[in-house]
Amino acid sequence: MLEVKSLSKHFGGVQAVRELDLAVNAGDIFGVIGPNGSGKSTLVNLISGVFPATTGEIHFQGQSLSNLSPHARVRAGVARTFQNIRLFPGLTVWQNLWVARNSTEDTRAEGISFRWFRKSGPVKNEIDAMLEFSGLADKGDELASNLAFGEQRRLELARAAATKPRLLLLDEPAAGMNQEEVRDLGRRIRELRQQGMTIILIEHVMELVMGITDRIVVLNFGSKIAEGEPAAIRKDKSVQEAYLGQSEDG
Amino acid sequence: MDDFWFEFVEVTQSIGDGVLFGSTYALIGIGFTLIFGAMGKLNVAYAAAAMAGAYSSLAIYILFDAPLVVIFIVSAICAAILGYLVYLTCFRFIPVHNHLAALMASVGGLFFIDEVIVHATRGSPLAFPSMFSEAYFEVGPYGIRGDLLFVFFIGLISTGVLLYVLFRTRLGLATRAVAQQDVAARLCGMSIHLTNSTTFAVAGLLGGIAGAMTAAAVGILSPVMILPLTIKGLIVTVIGGLGSIPGAIIAGLFVGGFENVVMYFRGIDERDMYVVALLFIFLVFRPNGLFGKTITRD
Amino acid sequence: MDYFLNLVNTIGIHTLLGLSAYILLLTGQLSLAQAGFFAVGAYTAAVLTVILGWGILPAIGLAMLITGLLAFLVGFPALRVRGLMLVVATLAFGEFVRMFFYNFRWRVTQEGVEVGPDGTMGFSEIRYFAEHGWTSWEVTSLIWVFVILVMAIIWWADQTRSGAVLRAVGEDELAAGTVGIDVTVVKMAAMTAGGVIAGLAGSLYAHQITMLDHHAFTVLLATFAIAYPILGGVSNVFGTLVAVIFIQGLLVEGLRFLGDWRMLLFGALIIVVMNVKPRGLFDSQTLRWIKSVLRLHLSRRIS
Repeated sequence: MLEVKSLSKHFGGVQAVRELDLAVNAGDIFGVIGPNGSGKSTLVNLISGVFPATTGEIHFQGQSLSNLSPHARVRAGVARTFQNIRLFPGLTVWQNLWVARNSTEDTRAEGISFRWFRKSGPVKNEIDAMLEFSGLADKGDELASNLAFGEQRRLELARAAATKPRLLLLDEPAAGMNQEEVRDLGRRIRELRQQGMTIILIEHVMELVMGITDRIVVLNFGSKIAEGEPAAIRKDKSVQEAYLGQSEDG
Repeated sequence: MDDFWFEFVEVTQSIGDGVLFGSTYALIGIGFTLIFGAMGKLNVAYAAAAMAGAYSSLAIYILFDAPLVVIFIVSAICAAILGYLVYLTCFRFIPVHNHLAALMASVGGLFFIDEVIVHATRGSPLAFPSMFSEAYFEVGPYGIRGDLLFVFFIGLISTGVLLYVLFRTRLGLATRAVAQQDVAARLCGMSIHLTNSTTFAVAGLLGGIAGAMTAAAVGILSPVMILPLTIKGLIVTVIGGLGSIPGAIIAGLFVGGFENVVMYFRGIDERDMYVVALLFIFLVFRPNGLFGKTITRD
Repeated sequence: MDYFLNLVNTIGIHTLLGLSAYILLLTGQLSLAQAGFFAVGAYTAAVLTVILGWGILPAIGLAMLITGLLAFLVGFPALRVRGLMLVVATLAFGEFVRMFFYNFRWRVTQEGVEVGPDGTMGFSEIRYFAEHGWTSWEVTSLIWVFVILVMAIIWWADQTRSGAVLRAVGEDELAAGTVGIDVTVVKMAAMTAGGVIAGLAGSLYAHQITMLDHHAFTVLLATFAIAYPILGGVSNVFGTLVAVIFIQGLLVEGLRFLGDWRMLLFGALIIVVMNVKPRGLFDSQTLRWIKSVLRLHLSRRIS
């Protein structure tokens, strides 16, 4: 579904990602792990188009993403969340989802119609389902900035899902969460997969990665050092070295 | 052929004069760029504060009958104090990430300073003592005005001193550190507010000199000079690339030369119009300016 | 009475001007070009009625079209740069327009009298209303019909998804892009709409004031234009109206006895407000306070 071919990214003299090859199958939950600064977030930014790659190719469902701007990639079916949550803080929870929903489809008629449409019809049903999914059913009219941290993370996940992507990139969605919240998140991610999304999960919280992923890629210094199923990765020598090489982290 | 030769000399002569005068734009541009580099914000009131510095020095010159040389120093000090006051009123207490509010406040500052000057002088221009205006050097077919040359040298010296401070002293190191990584710099024990206010004061020093230079080269001080100086300073900053000091210097001299050529061909009424058009040409073809960095990584 | 009506007209025209900046501000853009679009609208509409003898409504319509087109064209280079650079670009554009009209001469002789824009001397004798026997009341009504219309349209748009999209771009451009919003298109649309409204304001202004002078279109006017929505806050369109009434009604007219010192006050006012309420006088916090006070008041009345 997603194919990354010899992808590289330089920032000045720093090589954040070097000659990376990846292949993600449809329907997988695909884990990307690695020590800090190993290029995981850069990878998400490259796939979602926040900045262009220095060299290399990204193909999504046979289509090259390289020349597409971020919003065009969303329309092609690739959505993401951010490591440091980026909601629209001044909009309500409802509006956050409304803005994201359906931007992939023709929303012109809906765009110029009244807010009161939300009282009935498919738009309301769909957004209410999203609110239910993220456990924010009673907070629809709150400003996003007034939500607690965990709620903001859930809203951001729901907002990304509201664009109805086929591929969802999650950049450390469990950062700062307690164990129960992490388990909750795992359940939600599985639910999204059941809805037909392929998921790339970038994470430090091993419990989550090992628990729900089908395949894992390990990055270090921008290169792939291992790839395989969670159980195999757990035993991999080079992975252990990469993590032991730096002090305790996540 | 003689006509062509005459025209050629006239045009190059006006370019040369313009480049010399452009040193004032360069200084103002450096000031804008310094503040932008340190805070990532535009201080629109900057050129107004610079001109206010020149006004203060003129007042002191008249009141105390001070020697001419003092004018530049007094102007620089007054503009530095004003720059610090602008920092306190328009930047210090406004939330760091609210760029628009700070910008708006500095626009308010621009009007405030402008109006104070208009009221203090009843809006009429004042004569400013120019130096070496009798001096005139002839080089081949060209003539070099002494006052312009003097202004240019003052600009050259100020820039030199600034670059020395910025790249050879601890203060400069701190300023550049804050500009590059404010969080990291704070963790290293540098005070953001201290470096920011120092930057405003240093920029103010330059501005004060530039204000006095402008007045000395033109021979008068008038409130109507404030806005064009602000706009040209900003244009120089953008053309040079936001945050780039060499860019500001080159762009300043370039704009000075360019506007004189336009004036030669199209007259003074249309001069500033073409300078502004120049900005748009840059925005279309080189939106990051001559030396601007493209911003990567959030 | 005419004095009062003139003030009401000024408030109406400035509200339109403020709303043109309001739309851009929703998308997070601070434009100092609105005075420039205002000037283009004013000169265009005046040339149409005075020199070409058009009716007022078609003249206003074409003026809006032209300023919209101009805003669209200016938007292209200007939107390649972000935030603070946009401020410089729009500031420069505003000055460019002013200097253009400073040099703009188009004199024609009509019935033995020379009319039209005359460069430095300005453009006087825009006598459409007088020649067609409009009363002051009718002029004021025309202006306010447009004000109410524009306010209603913007208020309505704000209730729709389009309004939420505009605000989303203003909140976080990067995040807006990653939920599939074409940020450039949204910003261009806002820029164009802002130009159209500023052009409308300008064309009304030209005929109400009957004489144009480049001094009227300086950075001061551009600052007024953005000061209204910033002081009034961008929660809704009424904030802008309240800010215009406050500045034009109270500060400029009410304090007339202070003479020129009022402008000094204007500068100081902006600084103070930005320090105390960086998100505008009518930010969500204040609005909630007003609502709670009103609710208390009502519940007391009922009981």
